[in-house]
Amino acid sequence: MRQTDAADKWEVQLRKGCLELAILASLWDGKLYGLEILRRLESDSDLIVSEGTVYPLLSRLKALRLVQSEWVESDAGHPRKYYALTPAGRQRAREMAGMWSRFSHSMTRLLAPIVKGK
Amino acid sequence: MTTSGSAQPNAPTDAQKKVDAYLSTLRQRLRGLNDQNAREIVEELRSHIIEKSAADGQTTVAAVDAALAGLGDPEELASQYTTDNLLSQAELSRSPFRILKSLFRWASLSIAGFFVLLGSFLGYLFGAVLMLVAALKLIHPHTAGLWILPSSSGDFELSFRLGFGSVPDGRDLLGWWIVPIGWIAGGALVMLTTYIAVWFARQYRKSLVLPKS
Repeated sequence: MRQTDAADKWEVQLRKGCLELAILASLWDGKLYGLEILRRLESDSDLIVSEGTVYPLLSRLKALRLVQSEWVESDAGHPRKYYALTPAGRQRAREMAGMWSRFSHSMTRLLAPIVKGK
Repeated sequence: MTTSGSAQPNAPTDAQKKVDAYLSTLRQRLRGLNDQNAREIVEELRSHIIEKSAADGQTTVAAVDAALAGLGDPEELASQYTTDNLLSQAELSRSPFRILKSLFRWASLSIAGFFVLLGSFLGYLFGAVLMLVAALKLIHPHTAGLWILPSSSGDFELSFRLGFGSVPDGRDLLGWWIVPIGWIAGGALVMLTTYIAVWFARQYRKSLVLPKS
């Protein structure tokens, strides 16, 4: 029981740690507004994140000038705030993605015996 | 043709009232952020709530409730924005004044913020006094410095003196050393205070990111 709790907690930490990269990655192909980013995260990454976390994080990424935003009128009748990567944001995403793939590659190799021997 | 009394087209529906109440609480709690920033946050979330709750066709009270529940408690949401603001400010500039300003906002929202503000204030104050004494030693060479003075109870006490007034009845502990020591120790204390304040804000922010299960 205890063990499972600890594992769950670790998983939560892991997801949290990836959130910034996940948001930057969702914007790689072009601008999206908040709800689209949330949907993309849900469908493409099964990162379960609370909506109340993503919006403040977007505002922080904007303050750090990794993303920029603009308001666009929509057919739905209310304007939407679209986010796009800045050059600095693209650079950051590229660096983080590089680190991620090196890291996951070596972890996968290390974990291979455990995964195989189940 | 007559319509029933309840169908006034311009009267806010219960669902709208709920959204307005949520956003006005949030707006109040974002008071510390600059005005345009706070307004944009509120409009963005309004847009989110409208679209999210209309996703299943009709905007019902239940759909609005679900959308609001997804965003969480408005006070907690506001403190995520304010601590995020503090952290990004700190990442852009380590100026104590900026940090204190952001900490004031945070302190207005949470007790944790209040204590961090209090500690940082004392840290910056003490650091500033050290540097001030070091600076004034050059102007008041005989009276400024770290003095050891006999106290009324027969003990001794240490006192940082800015050097205004007469030569105190005691001993100047550091002499000219107060100049380099005051600058270095004062500067180090200011930097340390900033690091500790940012560390606390980061820990606090991390504790809020956990999704509610």
